[in-house]
Amino acid sequence: MNLFDLLVGPFVSYGFMSRALVGAVVIALSAAPVGVFLMLRRMSLSGDAMAHAILPGAGVGFLIAGLEILPMTLGGFAAGLVVALLAGLVSRLTIQREDTSLAAFYLISLALGVMLVSLRGSSVDLMHVLFGTVLALNNDALIMIGAVATISLVALALIWRPLFAECLDPNFLRSVSGAGQPVHLIFLALVVLNLVGGFQALGTLLAVGLMMLPAAAARFWVRGLEALCLVAVTIGVASSYLGLLLSFHLSVPSGPAIILVAGAIYLLSLLIGNRGVIRTRLVPPRHRIA
Amino acid sequence: MRALLATISLALLTGTAFAAPIPVVASFSILGDMVQQVGGDRVAVTTIVGPNADTHVYEPKPQDAAVLGEARAFFVNGLGFEGWLERLVDATGFKGAVVTVSDGVKTHEMPEEEDEREEHDHDHAEEHGHHHEGLDPHAWQSLGNGLIYVSNIKEALCQIDVEGCATYTANAEAYSAQIAALDAEVKAAIAAVPQEERKVITTHDAFGYFAEAYGVTFMAPEGISTDSEASAADVAKLIDQVKHDGVKALFIENMSDPRLVQQIAAETGAKLGGALYADALSEPDQGAATYLDMFRQNIALLVPALLGQ
Amino acid sequence: MAIELKDLTLGYDGHPAVHHLDGTFADGSLTAIVGPNGSGKSTLLKGITGILKPLGGSIERGATRTRAIAYLPQSAEIDRSFPATVAELVALGHWRSRGLWGAITGPDYDAVRAALDAVGLRGFEDRGLDTLSGGQAQRALFARVMLQDADVILLDEPFTAIDEKTTADLIGLVQRWHGEKRTVVAVLHDIEMVRKVFPEALLMAREPVAWGTTGEALAPENLLKARRMTEAWDEHAAWHDEAGHDGHAHGHEQGRAA
Repeated sequence: MNLFDLLVGPFVSYGFMSRALVGAVVIALSAAPVGVFLMLRRMSLSGDAMAHAILPGAGVGFLIAGLEILPMTLGGFAAGLVVALLAGLVSRLTIQREDTSLAAFYLISLALGVMLVSLRGSSVDLMHVLFGTVLALNNDALIMIGAVATISLVALALIWRPLFAECLDPNFLRSVSGAGQPVHLIFLALVVLNLVGGFQALGTLLAVGLMMLPAAAARFWVRGLEALCLVAVTIGVASSYLGLLLSFHLSVPSGPAIILVAGAIYLLSLLIGNRGVIRTRLVPPRHRIA
Repeated sequence: MRALLATISLALLTGTAFAAPIPVVASFSILGDMVQQVGGDRVAVTTIVGPNADTHVYEPKPQDAAVLGEARAFFVNGLGFEGWLERLVDATGFKGAVVTVSDGVKTHEMPEEEDEREEHDHDHAEEHGHHHEGLDPHAWQSLGNGLIYVSNIKEALCQIDVEGCATYTANAEAYSAQIAALDAEVKAAIAAVPQEERKVITTHDAFGYFAEAYGVTFMAPEGISTDSEASAADVAKLIDQVKHDGVKALFIENMSDPRLVQQIAAETGAKLGGALYADALSEPDQGAATYLDMFRQNIALLVPALLGQ
Repeated sequence: MAIELKDLTLGYDGHPAVHHLDGTFADGSLTAIVGPNGSGKSTLLKGITGILKPLGGSIERGATRTRAIAYLPQSAEIDRSFPATVAELVALGHWRSRGLWGAITGPDYDAVRAALDAVGLRGFEDRGLDTLSGGQAQRALFARVMLQDADVILLDEPFTAIDEKTTADLIGLVQRWHGEKRTVVAVLHDIEMVRKVFPEALLMAREPVAWGTTGEALAPENLLKARRMTEAWDEHAAWHDEAGHDGHAHGHEQGRAA
């Protein structure tokens, strides 16, 4: 097999492969910067929490319209928004901190969801319908991902400065502008948007994984905010590409393959990154003369 | 024909006035229907494995033993279809007739399984993709064999209830005529599809006799399994298979992600079929509640898919 | 811009840290706030910025521009692990003129560099925040205040951990602001510096002890009174009854924890 067949062929020969690549790359583009901010604000576990929080919304969608993708996704998005916004508000207006606030609300939401679903009587696996797979991206799913990414990137660009200030020095921001609170909530909405869109198209593992792992790995290479985002996006895109290739050539499931590639990059970065273990701890420190 | 039948039945009934129906048991829904057709009012049929259920993995319940204890005959498919058969009979100490309705059918072996992942695992049978080794038990999938089934059923009923034999014979004849007629219909319908386009992929490996009788090729999907998560290679393999072998229709309705099959169909131009009934009848409102309806339903799904509609 | 305090009470958990404060920071004044530990000085500044809501009474901030207050906190609650450079932190001072989306231009960055220079942080533009010492971080925030071009400037212990030379430079800056008719209020520990530099002083011991020109406010008998303040909160103190306020004088002197 020549190099072309190895690296490019699969995407050329099979429609589902090129769509999978496009879908994963777009999500990586959109989710990576969001993941960077989440990481910097010490909210890295919110992705997983959110996957559970959307259940009652999907449940309501299911109760109203049956096992249909659109109402369940919209319901899930609504539920995720409510949980995220409530958690954000509570953490700003009371002594409760962000992570605990989110934990409390997602647990309540999850329990509500389980109860709602059991009211219908059958133990239908809602999650199965809600969470997709990267190999089955039809046109609707691609359009949805595209829309999510566009909205997310534009919104992020618009709120970049106040978000930066809000993360760095919230008291200062409060003293010069009223934008702190709304910007914080908009950011949370973007998190939910990227996650729910990602769940729907790619499944939980891939959506959360592509959001957090590249950001975490980027930490070991660069420092500045913009640089972190760029490196994270690059890692996300590379993981998608390599993961899909692995899934194709080695016949392993695609979602886990992509995430494991991202994970391998993370471990590698941990070891040999500019700010990784080896450079910071094992190499004898040097110092300049001034 | 019906009127004649009714008159004869009535005459016989008045002759054997107030005789209670004979309790018999059928192992699964298809047999239950057939026995009912042949036995008519003279028999009370209880089916152990009901509609939409999987006979291969069925675990007999105490009620089944109780019902069997009361019955005069137990109609089973045989050919290894009901693995739990002997256990149940032993447990109940059933002394009645165990009728293997597939006696006399020309059998064949199960088709070779290329998918390495799930084969030779009898305990794995509770997954959707159950496989059998040895003889293919799904003989009823050929209507020609269906006629043999009916004949065996009639013989058995005649033996345990000599008085009703005339009824049974008449019923059996009428029913057989229907079966034969349907057989001709099916052959005609399939003849409308060019030979080289009669290719279908399905996860059920239950259509061996159908394939033989009606000249349709059923293939197992290469790669995709129904429970584990698919890899890109699996999907590619299936797409290759569809394209390479010119498969027209995909009947893979119990996949872990139905959207995946839709993707494959979209990319290859193959049609997505609905749910084929292989091992059981449907509920009364689902359109395949009798043996004949089941066949009609399957054909209604198969032929248009093969013709590309 | 003048700041008027009317019977102001500020505190935490129901306990007052600033108790019944009346008075005005005149427009363009330069006032030092002095007092023992825990006397409510930082709390008062937080109240003026609006971070802390009053438990009683009110604060009138004259004129319409409420965002025109620059605040230098004692220990900034800045996330030092957040990836920002000193320049980026200081550049936030341009907020009033650049807003959410206005471009930060070349001249803006020149101003940042000039401000850093003025506080003795020349060359620190690209340093990460987590590499700064306490005093350096303080000075960076001082630079930001410079850029904010605010009408009111509140400084909380601005010279802590800063060497003499730089302190002298910064005092020069404060005096310049005063010259520019900005209202400046600073919390300070160094009474000698206050006497030298600040025309007005407010001496606090949770309750106002004296407020006026520095010479009067920091007279020895006032300083003595302030020193007698009890620092710890009294968990069993009676609740303040608004209705009974006019009736009796609060016995908040030493020893009368009722």
